[in-house]
Parts: sequence; C-alpha cells; structure tokens
Amino acid sequence: MNVQAGNQPAVAATGLGMERSFAHEVEKLKLGAGDKFEGEAIVAVTKALLQSGVAYVGGYPGAPVSHLMDVLAEARGAILEPMGITFEQSSSEAGAAALLGASINYPLRGAVTWKSIVGTNVASDALSNVASAGVKGGVLIVVGEDYGEGASVIQERTHATALKSSIPMLDPRYDMGRLVELTEQAFELSEAAHLPVIMSLRIRAAHMTGSFTCKDNRAPEFSPHNPLPGAIQTTDTIVLPPASYAQERDKFETRLPAAQRFIVEHGINEVFEGRRARLGIVLQGGTHGSVVRAMNLLGATGPDGETPVPLLVLNAIHPLVPDQIADFMKDKDAVLVVEEGNPAFIEREIREILHRRGLPCRLRGKDILPMAGEYTLDVVRRGIGTFLNEEDNGKDGLGPVAAEALEALDAARAETRAALDATAPPPRPPSFCTGCPERPVFTALKLLQRERGKFHVSSDIGCNTFSTLPPFNTGSTVLGYGLSLASGGAVAPPLNQPAVAVMGDGGFWHGGLTTGAANAHWNGHESVLVVLENGYASATGQQHVPSTGSTAWGRPVKLSIERVLRSMGIGWIRRVNAYKVSKSLRALRAALDARGQGLRVVISDEECMLARQRREKRLSATREAAGKAVKRERFGVDEEVCSGDHSCMRLSGCPSLTLRRGQDPLKDGPAAVVDPSCVACGLCGEAAHAAALCPSFYRARTVRNPGVLARLRHRTENGLLRIMGAS
Amino acid sequence: MSSTANRPVCILISALGGQGGGVLVDWLVSAARAEGLAAQATSIPGVAQRTGATTYYFEVYPRRDDAGARHFSIYPAAGSVDLLLSFEPMEAGRAMAGGLVGGETTVITARDRVISTAEKVLPGNGILDAAPVLEALDQLARSVQTIDLRTAAEETGAAPNALMFGALSASGVLPFGYEACRAAIAGSGKAVKANLAGFEAGRALPKTAPDPAAAEGAGFDPAPKTLAAEVEKLPMPVQAMAGHACARLADYQNDAYARLYLDRLGRVAAVDSAENGWRLTQLAARRLGAWMAFEDVIRVAQLKTRPGRLARIRRELGAPAGAPLTVHEFLKPGREELIGLLPAPFAPLLGRERPVVYGRGLAMRLRTTGPLGWLSLRLLSRLRGWRPWTARYRQEQAMIGQWVDAMLAAAREDYGLACDTAELAAWVRGYGETRHRGFRHIGRMLEEFSARLAADSAALAESVRAGLEAAHSDQDREVKP
Repeated sequence: MNVQAGNQPAVAATGLGMERSFAHEVEKLKLGAGDKFEGEAIVAVTKALLQSGVAYVGGYPGAPVSHLMDVLAEARGAILEPMGITFEQSSSEAGAAALLGASINYPLRGAVTWKSIVGTNVASDALSNVASAGVKGGVLIVVGEDYGEGASVIQERTHATALKSSIPMLDPRYDMGRLVELTEQAFELSEAAHLPVIMSLRIRAAHMTGSFTCKDNRAPEFSPHNPLPGAIQTTDTIVLPPASYAQERDKFETRLPAAQRFIVEHGINEVFEGRRARLGIVLQGGTHGSVVRAMNLLGATGPDGETPVPLLVLNAIHPLVPDQIADFMKDKDAVLVVEEGNPAFIEREIREILHRRGLPCRLRGKDILPMAGEYTLDVVRRGIGTFLNEEDNGKDGLGPVAAEALEALDAARAETRAALDATAPPPRPPSFCTGCPERPVFTALKLLQRERGKFHVSSDIGCNTFSTLPPFNTGSTVLGYGLSLASGGAVAPPLNQPAVAVMGDGGFWHGGLTTGAANAHWNGHESVLVVLENGYASATGQQHVPSTGSTAWGRPVKLSIERVLRSMGIGWIRRVNAYKVSKSLRALRAALDARGQGLRVVISDEECMLARQRREKRLSATREAAGKAVKRERFGVDEEVCSGDHSCMRLSGCPSLTLRRGQDPLKDGPAAVVDPSCVACGLCGEAAHAAALCPSFYRARTVRNPGVLARLRHRTENGLLRIMGAS
Repeated sequence: MSSTANRPVCILISALGGQGGGVLVDWLVSAARAEGLAAQATSIPGVAQRTGATTYYFEVYPRRDDAGARHFSIYPAAGSVDLLLSFEPMEAGRAMAGGLVGGETTVITARDRVISTAEKVLPGNGILDAAPVLEALDQLARSVQTIDLRTAAEETGAAPNALMFGALSASGVLPFGYEACRAAIAGSGKAVKANLAGFEAGRALPKTAPDPAAAEGAGFDPAPKTLAAEVEKLPMPVQAMAGHACARLADYQNDAYARLYLDRLGRVAAVDSAENGWRLTQLAARRLGAWMAFEDVIRVAQLKTRPGRLARIRRELGAPAGAPLTVHEFLKPGREELIGLLPAPFAPLLGRERPVVYGRGLAMRLRTTGPLGWLSLRLLSRLRGWRPWTARYRQEQAMIGQWVDAMLAAAREDYGLACDTAELAAWVRGYGETRHRGFRHIGRMLEEFSARLAADSAALAESVRAGLEAAHSDQDREVKP
C-alpha cells in the first residue's frame, strides 16, 4: 500500500492500460444516505459492500461480475484508500479466496468475487479451509452464476460447493432494494454463523437495472488508519487434528444451526401468502420474477398482480430451515419446488423433511420441470401450468385457465413452426473481434495443419477458445484456465508428435506458469506452447494481467512472461509479431521440428485490438482536431479479381471481411468485400501472402491534415500517374 | 388471458455485438425514468467481443399509478413480447424460432443481412436468404417494419442504434413520447447531435425497405457489337449469358478469343434441344465463359490498372479528391504462375503435385499509387498479346477441350450426366494452391472419359455426381478429393 492516490505515474509510458473509464459508476459509489442509486445490479452490490464496512475486497474478473472489479479498481484512489479498504485484483480465484484468511483471526469484513462454477472450482481449496476454520469478521463471496443463455463455462451450479463446505448460500430475489439489503445482511449472517457466505447472481440479474435508496459508506473499524492491536495465532483455526475434527463437528452442531436461526430471525426467506392456501410453491429467490410473471401469463394472478398460490421464497438456499419448510407445507395438498439446476438439492431435502415429519403434502418439482438447463420464464410457466392443471383442477380451480393458456401456447408454437418451415437462423457464436491479434496465429496454425496433417492442439480459456469454432476448427480440448499445456501432456507420446498448447497471457498468469510451463519443462514434455500475449484478460473486458505493464489502477509494474520462462531454464523461446503470418508459420514449424528439445515456446505478441482502438480513436480524434496528420487505413478487395471461392474467409473469419452478392453472372459465389469497420490489422494481406491466396486484396491509406512533404509527394506522383493514364 | 393487462410493455432487442444495443437500452431506461415509469432492463451481452448474437430485454409499466403491480421479469416470454427490435433479419428469425413473436408483437427489423461465419466459409454462395424469415414474420406478427439499416446509416451518417431508436419511438408501442426519447439521448451526453439526427431519420423511415439484395443482383453486359450477330444465332435462353461472356472474353483477350468461345458453345448447342430447355447449353455458357477468362498474372495486372480504380478506392475510403492516397497490392505470384508465362513448351512443368509449404516464395507489396508500381503492372498487362503462346494458355485450352468433348460425349448417352459434367467446371476456381488442386481434380475426373462412358455410364455418372458434390462442399484441403 505504498502508492499514493493522485500521485500515480502516467501509464502512457507503457502504451497499455486505462483504455476504459468507469468514472460514471464510481460516482454512484460515492452516494450517501438518502440518495437514490440508479444503475446495474452488480454495481448496486458493489455499493452495498461499501455500506457494509468491508476492510478488503478482491477477486478475479469474469462475466457477469467483472464490473465489480473494474469499478472498484477505478474507485481505488478516490474511495477505497481514504476509507482504508484493501483492494486487489488477485491473480486467480484461488488467490482471491485465500484473501478471506484475513477474517479467520480478525474481526475484518471482506468480500471476494469471481465467475462460477469455474472460479469456485479454482477457489475451492481455500474455500474449504476458510469454512472449516470459521471466520470472525463477515465474509461474502459474490459469484456470477454463468449458467444458461450467454454462458461461456461448464453448466454446473455452485450449490454443491456450498453444501459440501457448509457455506450458507444466498440466491436473492431480484428486486434491487432487497438485493442490496440481502448483501448487507449476508455479512451479519456470516458473523452469526462464523461461516463465509456465498451470494449467487445470474447473468441477467447482474446486468439488471433498477434503483434503491443508499446509506452512507462505512469505513472498516480496522485499517491502515486504525491498525489492529496485533497478530493472533491459535491452533484452533488451523486445519490439523484435532482442531479439524472439532471444526467439522462445530460446523454442523453450532455454526449451521446458528445460520438457520439467523435466517428465520431476520426474515431472509420470504413467505407471500395467497388465497389458494392448499397449494404452494417453494422457489429459489432468483426465480421469483419468473414465477410471478408465469402466474400472471397463465391467467392466475388477480388485478393486483399478486400470485394466488402462496410462495416460500428461499433467498437462502443453504442451509434450509426444516421448521420453516414444514410450517409452510403443513396444511397443503401439493407444493411445487422451482429449482434451477441439477442435482435437485432443495427438492431432495424437502422430501426428506416431509418424510421425517410424516407430512402428507404431495411434492412436485423435477417430475414436471426439466431436469437440466436454464429455467427461463417459458420453462417455468410450463411447469407451473402443469402443476396447476394437475393439482388445482376443481371447478373454481386455477387449473382449467392454466391449461387453456398452455394450449394457446402450444398452438402458437405450432403456428410458428409452420410459418418458419424449417428456416433456421445461422449459428452466431462470439468470435475474435475485427483486427484481433489472436486470429492470425490461428491462420498460421491452420495452414500448418494443412501442410502437415492434423496435429493435436489443446485450447485454453479466454478469447482463444473461439479458435475451436469455424473457420479455424483448431483446438481439440479445453480443460480449464491455464491448463492447456498440462492437458496435452499425455497426448504427445501416443500420437508420437509434439502436442501444441495455446494459452493467453491471462491463462499463463492464472496457473499456466506453474501447472503448465514448470510442469512440462520439469517432466520433459514434447510440447509446443503458444502464448498469446495481448496484454489483457480480454474476454472479460480487458482487465490487466501481471504482464500488462500496470495494475488496473495505473501503478506501473510489468512481469515478463519471456523472462520468467527463461529463468526457469526454458531456452527455446521465439517472440513473433502476431500479425506476421509467415513469420509465425516459420516459428511454429521450427518449434514442431525441434524434437527432443523439451518445451518450446512461441510468444505471439500484439496488443488486444479492442483496447488499442479505444485508445487510438481518442488519440487520433485529438490529433485531427489539433490539425495534425492522422492516417486512415483499411483493406479492400477488387471484386473483379475475387473468384468467389472464399478461401480467405476460411483463414480469417474477420467480421469486417464479408460477402456481397456478386455483380458477375459468370461467378459462382458472392465476392468478398471488406466493410468500413476494417481496422487494417493486415491479416488479409498476410494471409494472401502466406497462403498464396488471391491477388485481390489491397491496402488503402489516406492522411487527414497531411504535411507539406506528403502533399507535395502526392501531387507529383498523381501527375505522373495521370500522364500514364491511371486515373 | 384476462389478467395480462397488468403486465408491463415488453420489448426485446436482438443485435450483434458492437451495434450499440446496450446504448439503446440505456436510452430506454433513462426515458422511462424521466417519465416516472417503473422499468427494468437486462441483457445477455455475451463476452467482451464485438461479435456474436446478443439480446437485450426491457420492461416498462405504462402508467405511473399502477404501483403494487410492478413485478419484473428478466426473461421475455412467448405471447408477451410487444415489440421485437432486431438489428439483423436472421436474428429476428432466431427470436421467432424461440417462440417470441406472436400476434401481439410489433416487429421492427433490419432488412439487410449481416453474414455469419458459417455462411462465409462455404465456397460458392452460402448466403442465407432473409425472405422466408420475413414472410414468416409477416404471417405471425402484428405488424412488421423492415429497414435497410446499412443504407439508412450510410445516407444519414447516423449510428444504427439511433436510427432504430427513432423507428422504435415512431412505432407507438412505447408508453413514453417523442420528447422523452430526445431527452434521453441528450442526457447521455455522448455524440448527442449525431444521435438526435439519427433518431429523427429513424422516425421518418418508411414501413417497408426494398430488398437490398435485389439491387445487388447480377446484371448481364451486352455482347460486343462485332459479335452480336453471332450471339443471336444461339438459342434464345443462352443469349444473355453468352453475350456477357463474349464481352468478358473480348476484354480479356480479343474478339477472336470470344469467337472461340462461341464456337465451343455452338458445338454444345448442337447436341442440345429445346425439349431439354437448353439446360446443358445454359450451364455450359456460364462455365465455359468463366473458365476461358481464367485469371493469370496478365489478367490481374489488367484489372488492377483499370482507369477509375483508384477513384473507386478513394470513394470507399472516404478520402477527398486532394488527399494523399496510398494503395498497396498484395501479390504472391507462385512458381506455377511464373512458369505459366513461359512459352508453351514449358507446359509439362505445370500442374505437378508438390508438397505445399506455406509462407515462402515471392511476396510482393506493390504500390500502385506510385509511378513505378503502377507502371510495372501496366507493362505486365501489356503481355496480353503474348498470352496465346504461354504454357498456361496451352494447358488451360487443352483441359477445356477435354471438358467440352466430355460434355458432347455424355450428351449422346445421358443428358443428366452431360449437365453434371458441365458443372464439374466448378472445380476450376480460386488462385494458387486451391486453383491447382481443383485443376488436378477435374483432370482426374475427365481422364479417359469416353472409354469410361462406354464401359459403364452409370458408374461414371455416379462418380461425376460425387465429384460435383465434393466441389460444393470442399473447403480447401479439409476435404480430400
């Protein structure tokens, strides 16, 4: 903490960093008591952390919670440091979870965040330990539940982690005020139970807009401004026998029951009564909006919009409170559990409660709702409709109306199907941006595979994962962040060829350095590692990594990937400009051929184009306004020369390289065309050269505010061209 | 569904990353907020990349006084999307396939396609037609407005999201008015003037945009006057294509070369008939024209030094007349292309199968805006007169001859086979390695054609069909011929 706010050296020297501004969001974090916050849920949660008196915040960026980290990084100087709050962007989720160790011995509140399930998996070692040791200060883990539409990770829920490690878990109802309140209460719950607490936010929820009335931010009691009295050591919190046995008993005999008491006493879960008292729905808080709207669309809600079926909204999905559940179920004929994800932990536990207490209530759930997949509103509506139809089919029941609504839906669906008549929209997954420096590397890899036949490529997490999709179809496995190199370890020998692993710089620092490079070098793997050093964790929004050149808040510090590898004794390292396809080809070819030389590394080096464009657009606008020379460049295709074969597309996939229906009836296919979004990264020309593609590509450049010399040269050349008949 | 009256107005926005859907939603949220209406927006913005399909979803209660009924959903639902705003027609199709368009839905969609990677990578025409999707929308939706977004953006200089916001505001579905929308744009503080202009232009857009693809459609050039009479001797249905091909070949070489084309085509027409609808002749007219105008170094140099080309590039780049313009060509004449320029006796050196090594050879970056670069290409294009004596010319003409003979032979036995044989010329395409591979492939297909036809015409027909199939699905070296 030796960097003073307001005294930050300019990052411009390194050329990287500070491309995005969250100043607008930072202002929202400064709001005081009575002010109205308006904005996105993930920023509201961030504000709630500050209102809760956290002493530290850490995390690893990942959609949909990247924003929490981004905004706090920018707020570091203006808000966090004056309040004495420690903030770090950890190098992995494991590092972030380990921060929670601060709350084991000291009354410090803290929060960490990441994308789940993957981040939770990486963090689980530390999570198990902190949950077992227990905490003095309240601890909150905000996870972005990357599940359902728009997700980019394995489809698993975080619930299992909460269960196995005895971590209370909140799945809050999506009302901004309630969400903020529950965030604050999570710290109290954590302190009451001496357990860390997980709060899970779905993708859409994190990006949901809304408003709430703020409180003042609360500085932590202990901080650099008011240090703790001293360090504490006690064997009780160390996970060694016999303390570990005592901790295990304590979790189940004392701490989880304390959590259950807190949940009941503070109304964490909510019951909404309704006139159909013989029925009920138990639901995860996060599905509340869908359940109520589903009821409305099924024609079941009254004019007030309230649901007629009583609801037990579980804002805390772990631990459940058996008395609360039994109390809700006791006079009911049938209850539906709306529980997204599998295993159906809630449904199973409720079934056990019913069984133990001998309650006669019929329990419905995964029998009428899908076993797996996102519980969208349409899915929930169908489940509830079936529930009402089967359980409330009396004369005045809601069933008949619901059944009618479902039939109308079926009819509409059939009509849609008939109208569409098998017309299907093309798949449109995310891919590399226009001008992305990672694309040319895969052009080179694809060409090399054409040259030599397929070789095994293991992919990693990050933008580079898109290489597994068309047009590159390069990358056979994805095992986890920074794991590509390790995941090729057992493939090379039986294929009798070197395995190629692709890894971003984000993946390298996350775990690839030790799990991948150190492991491969130590074990003498016959591997080629391609590191895509674009300067950022780009896929989640250009967050800084150790080799960016500065921290997220602008402190210049650069860790060198190449130097760290060399210092480990890895000698075969080539650095290549990412856009130079022919040079990349040569380096990759040499790496594959350097058999018997252990791990070979090719570092493909160019900045993330999105970040670069953000900076350069601003820069050239200023230059142009100041009357200085500004280059403008893009590629083009001579339509007459283009043969319509689209070989170039199969080596690029660039969004700006697209098709235009041909003017020439003699040609088979539409001609290639470069649209105005081209940023002249040069791949088109490089690929045309490397693969001897097609002479139709050209690069055109003009200059705004040209200097005297440029103008003179232009005029002379133009004159000569005109004499020769060029124009 | 009686009580749906107290649900909010639901608006679904389908866009592609980078089209500004997020900003549009911000405008909606702040307009609603300023009007005191309860609203909520959410999104699936995808990852940070500027590509891929994204959706945004917005709900707003239409009246200030319906407190207590403010339950929001983060998901759209079938039967309750009041307005679908789509930045791309196939994305509207995606929403429709998800059941999100019904009789209650007002649809505003871009008419012009943004072509996906899946469509781009196919050789030939892989572009999906938006028409069936638009027809289906017409059938299902309450109303459909189509917008030629690209043209509108070009004409007005406005951002697509501002145009779409204007169209949305004019649809009458929003529970807040014109002024609230303008205030939202003004309040955002970014590119206000341009976005307000775009918003107004969007409001004024017509209800239906013409199919932009129709305007892009292919047109036939007329035959050169010197050849018109001969073209007219061909069957009526082939005349337009043959005339177009003659114009191309006269430009490519000379009138005599175009006559060679007419002569070859005439032989095909002689074995064809009106009963067959002149199908074979039509196929041959197109394929023969394309093949005979094979692109060699001379042709590329000719096309790259056409008068007017630099002016066109200047327009594309938006560079004013006086501004300096630099154009670099990326040329990579390979071994085959260079040998191809040598005299005919070198022809046997062509077409040999050699291991491919990428990234080597003569990579030229020629500056055609400089006198030297332009002049060297110009001189190269002057080799046109030399072309008939080149190795490449001999090689191509020999193969074309073989192909025409194969068509004629097949036509006597099996008309379908003859048509498939005509289409086999689809293999002759592209440049460099793609071109050579295709050329070798069609060479193998035509080898001893007559003998194989006599021996087992059914087996030959089968193999030609398979070869044709491969031509359409082939993606470079991924499919082995």
